[in-house]
Amino acid sequence: MRRLLAVLTGWLIACGLFLGLSPLQAQPANSPDAALARLLDQARARLPGACSQPNADRLIKILCAKRIRIGVRDYYPLFATRNGDQREGYEVEVALAIGRMLGVEVEFVRVNAATRIPLLAEDRIDLVIATMGHNSQRDSQVRFIRPHYYQSETSVVAPRVLPIANMNDLPGRTVCVTVGNISNAELVSRGARLMLFDEAGVLPDRLKDQTCTLAAQDDSFFAYYFTDPDFAQRFFPKFAFAQVPWGMAVARQGSDELARALDLISQIFHRDGLFLDIARSQRIGTTFLEQQQRVWRKPECNTDSGATNPACVLAPLAAELKPTPFAGAVSAFESWLDSHADIELSLPMLKTAPAWSMFQEGVLNSLILIVGALIATLAFALLFGAAMGFRVAPLRWLARLVTVTLQSSPIVLTLVIAAAIVHAFFTYSDAVALAASIAALGLANGSNAGQALSEAVWSLRAERTTARGFDLFTRALGRSATQIVAFLVNAAKGTPIASFIGAPELLSALTDITSFSSGRATTYTLLLVFYTVVVIGVVWLCGKLRLYLEGRQRRAEAVA
Amino acid sequence: MNSLLAELSGDFLPRFLVGMAVNFEIAVVALAIGLALGMLLALGRLRGGAAGVAAASAVTLMRAAPTFVVMFFLLNALPREASLFGMPLALSGVMTVALSLVPYSAAYVSDAGLDALRHWRDGSTVGALLFLPNVTRAFFVLVMSSSAGAAIGVTEGITVILRQAEQLHSLDDRLLLFALGIVMFGIPLQLGFALIGLVQRSLGRRAAVTDEASA
Repeated sequence: MRRLLAVLTGWLIACGLFLGLSPLQAQPANSPDAALARLLDQARARLPGACSQPNADRLIKILCAKRIRIGVRDYYPLFATRNGDQREGYEVEVALAIGRMLGVEVEFVRVNAATRIPLLAEDRIDLVIATMGHNSQRDSQVRFIRPHYYQSETSVVAPRVLPIANMNDLPGRTVCVTVGNISNAELVSRGARLMLFDEAGVLPDRLKDQTCTLAAQDDSFFAYYFTDPDFAQRFFPKFAFAQVPWGMAVARQGSDELARALDLISQIFHRDGLFLDIARSQRIGTTFLEQQQRVWRKPECNTDSGATNPACVLAPLAAELKPTPFAGAVSAFESWLDSHADIELSLPMLKTAPAWSMFQEGVLNSLILIVGALIATLAFALLFGAAMGFRVAPLRWLARLVTVTLQSSPIVLTLVIAAAIVHAFFTYSDAVALAASIAALGLANGSNAGQALSEAVWSLRAERTTARGFDLFTRALGRSATQIVAFLVNAAKGTPIASFIGAPELLSALTDITSFSSGRATTYTLLLVFYTVVVIGVVWLCGKLRLYLEGRQRRAEAVA
Repeated sequence: MNSLLAELSGDFLPRFLVGMAVNFEIAVVALAIGLALGMLLALGRLRGGAAGVAAASAVTLMRAAPTFVVMFFLLNALPREASLFGMPLALSGVMTVALSLVPYSAAYVSDAGLDALRHWRDGSTVGALLFLPNVTRAFFVLVMSSSAGAAIGVTEGITVILRQAEQLHSLDDRLLLFALGIVMFGIPLQLGFALIGLVQRSLGRRAAVTDEASA
């Protein structure tokens, strides 16, 4: 049935193309149809002589070979899928329609997100139609065909029961995304935490097995999954953002005439509703295409210069990140290291201004978190130590109960509880997340250290020491110094886990940076080195503190 | 409490128990690898010389490496197509968490093992046997630490609680659920610590008897 529908659609499109290009139908000289006919006539007039010219435009090469090599995806449901030799989907049908327009065969070549641009540059394909968003970054790599053939936006999908309505509900929540998605930066800027995946294909499964509570990806990607009643019953697209037009693209070099022909074809397809017919036959969203048809039917757009008219075409998504003043030097260093030591180093955090800013803030916040956690641990240790060393039993029991509770709570749970309580009283912010993390880490480690301190107090009492009050307490501090230092070190080591509740420390910052740039291996290696060095520093400082406390205790015992 | 029970999905308890089993599974794997690696390091440190210096340096680094960062390092820095002796090395979530705990467990086992080996060398069998309660303590710390897996989507006990909490509307209900989680994690932990205390007291008494006999 589906194949029959595709054949019928093909015939309808072919008939539409025939009528659209028929010389019987009078067209103004400046219409896109007339311009396309002139362009193709002129190109064909140069055959076969131009076929042997090495610098011939790709349009000439296509007409000579009587085939066009089009890069499409193998598995992007509703847009391009492959089952053996059979391909179907919106992009496949568009590719076939373009082949018919040019009067050539279509040879499909498999591409994916990573290969679609390199294959164009290497002249292994003539055209790519592969769910490629048109952003300003890619403009320097390929020549996009205007007008765009589709538009998607990033859809945030979640279980129906989850109370999520817009971006304001995201702070503190984890969103599953794919690495390199341009909309990741916006999610990060709105306070969401990201869980990164390499391929979009795994996201629906991760939603189903509850690994992900929220997932963000192109609405066109999720469209297929929402055709599954089970999926649609459990999940819902809560909101969408970051609209990006999809563009067909050709190589920047040697494709001027081909690009011009495709611009005109795209204009005609929009105006005559061919994109729309194909979209309807493939059951994908048509809102954008309907709006575009209205645009390309306007007299001012339906001309041979419509594709360059800013009032008619859509602007690409602005995705260029401002480079840092030293980005060039960093790139040069990376190249030098690669060529001299064969080490592939990538330092994305030093190359663009937003990444550099996030990196600096991450380092600063990590240091604040570590210092805060150390101070809080020491303060809670003294508090719990005093309470559990107190002779008044109810106070001692209460402190003991709190300690046992904190010991029984995994640190992740303690952090979540602290965040839930703090967020009930304060609006979410970076400072609030940091404060909640410091309190949780301080309580978890301070209660254990406090227990050691109180045990030292009771052991001194058991030895019938003459020391009382503050003097007894300082001697107990010396006796329990090793344990206290161990928990201080533990607190410092535990600080990266604060990223779990959205504390903007270095792990969070680098995860965010790598979500929209490359260099994950280097980034996480540097992160490991950073924290290991910092913890070694804390161990060294705490060792000094332990020696000081133990020295005081020895002197006090010598005096006693 | 009643409203919480009404809102808890029927399969919450079985899912939570299965999740807790994952916590124990992670701890077992981390401890098994940590025992092998830690004892090798302990032997190296006991031997001294260059091997001792290398082992001590490795232990210092492992002590300082934060588990959570190691977990993200393993998740992101290891190439997807990595292999070891020709075997594909694609780590599952559970294995990623378990391996991230290995630096801690190996460093801990190395310290405890070194003490035990010294006691053994000095003829104190009872002192050497203290290694067992120490390793048991490390096991329970590992069970609690394995909850870090929640951050990478591993379905362990805390993940089950957090997923359930996301569906609760009132803060009170969520806090009650968290309290339930603490109790569920606390029971095996406190029982484990009580067992360790019992073993240590027993060993202490045996040590005292041995000391008196030798005196």
